Amino acid sequence: MIRRLYRMLPGPTPVRILLSIVIIAGVLVGLHFFYDWLGTIVFDTGGTVG
Amino acid sequence: MTESTDTTGTPDDEAATPPRRSLPVRIGRAAGWTLVWLGALTLGFVAHQLWITSWYAQQNQHELAQERVAQWAETSITEVAVQPADTGEPNEDPGDTPPPVYLKVESAPELHAAFALIRIPSIERLADGWNVVEGVTRADLKTGTGHMPDTALPGQPGNAVISGHRTTYGQPFHELDQLQPGDLIEVETALGTHVYAVRETLVVAPTELSVTEPKPGAWLTLTTCHPKFSARQRLVVVAELVAGPNFEAIQEMS
Repeated sequence: MIRRLYRMLPGPTPVRILLSIVIIAGVLVGLHFFYDWLGTIVFDTGGTVG
Repeated sequence: MTESTDTTGTPDDEAATPPRRSLPVRIGRAAGWTLVWLGALTLGFVAHQLWITSWYAQQNQHELAQERVAQWAETSITEVAVQPADTGEPNEDPGDTPPPVYLKVESAPELHAAFALIRIPSIERLADGWNVVEGVTRADLKTGTGHMPDTALPGQPGNAVISGHRTTYGQPFHELDQLQPGDLIEVETALGTHVYAVRETLVVAPTELSVTEPKPGAWLTLTTCHPKFSARQRLVVVAELVAGPNFEAIQEMS
């Protein structure tokens, strides 16, 4: 699947590699915020009362 | 010369395309890959919560320590005269009022700034101290433990409430359930070190605001999530001031 997604990227190989890095970084940042939000809802809100 | 370029639809690619599989096989493969991705996402979530948040909190602790020391240098301390509480006994001489007691009061800390250090000698994680910031927003608690605004400052009469994470962001209050009555909790502010002794431990609903209400004397209330890895309830540790710069004055007041 990853190979197929890579082939869908436009441009020559260097551009595709650059785009891949940007997309992966974007996904990781998005996951960080998603995990952070999920963690404070499910795991540990910080223990505040009220 | 043969080019192994990345263009699609070349005869090589077509030759390499696997034969079309039956529907049950394709469903099985899709389900398998879905499970693999879900597993990877779950592992990522656990790693993020356990390690990345803790790394973030530890990094912030170093900065907060410097901020706290700077804050202490700027904090102004005044003495306020307070009349001791009425004992209820009739006073025959109206002019014979008891002398006031003098309470040391520090200026209110800025919101979101580190202003105190909490130490619990019986808990290894907190033996060296953990910075306390003013405020209990999500951002405040990511950096340290947070003092609930509008409750008393540590070392002052009333009920000082401090909240902290149990399982993420450095887990400052991870072992709070191990505290026993009589265990000491030290909170250092610009005034000095205020020592509290644990009186009781409670488990309450997250909406149980009564634990934050002021009461006579000087108290410290620590709150965190309960049970571990769940935000369903709150573990509350209630401690009473037993020593510190204002201890005697507060004793005389009450």
